[in-house]
Amino acid sequence: MGQAAAKLSVSVPSELAAAVRRRVGARGLSGFVARAMAHELEREQLGAFLAELERDLGPVSKTELSKARRAWPKR
Amino acid sequence: MAETLILDSEAVHALAHAAERGVLAERARAILAVAHEKRALVRVPAPVLSEVCRGPRYDSAINHLLNARGIGVLDLTRSIAQRAGHLLARLKLSSAHAIDAFVVATSLQFDAAVIATGDPDDIQRLASPFRHVRVFAL
Repeated sequence: MGQAAAKLSVSVPSELAAAVRRRVGARGLSGFVARAMAHELEREQLGAFLAELERDLGPVSKTELSKARRAWPKR
Repeated sequence: MAETLILDSEAVHALAHAAERGVLAERARAILAVAHEKRALVRVPAPVLSEVCRGPRYDSAINHLLNARGIGVLDLTRSIAQRAGHLLARLKLSSAHAIDAFVVATSLQFDAAVIATGDPDDIQRLASPFRHVRVFAL
């Protein structure tokens, strides 16, 4: 069974709304917005978790950060 | 689908018990910070939980990590399980390597994936045919 849906009323720039509707159509809008909200929420939570770790353990060394950046695929 | 950081059991342990895991935790935090910079998803394949969960008395740190920290768990589906079996067969590996194969098969769902692992040799062997999957050794 799917989760119960909540109706939200939000305001966004009209050009953005038009671009999203062109991309996903009116019927795909709710799913698109839900995925975007979930992704942004996760990003906020991940940022807060990283900050919590830094507070407790200190910053990650520049050397380890550089190695991790090099390991990430170029796009 | 989006770029994704996949965490194996060593990465999950390192982040859940960061104060006790020294350099492993620092490397796991580094790749997690880069995933955040890149706006990537961070996911744990569900079979990994079978390696890190050892009962209610021991699981609180794992549950803490997976509860509202921006790290999601990906369920094992039929297609991922079958893909994992194909990966094992290609290398003639036994099901003793099944969790590694589930991790790699899960990563194949994404446009680009980085697997953070404490077992880079086996994961690299399984992932080697796939250019969009990178392995990051903790």
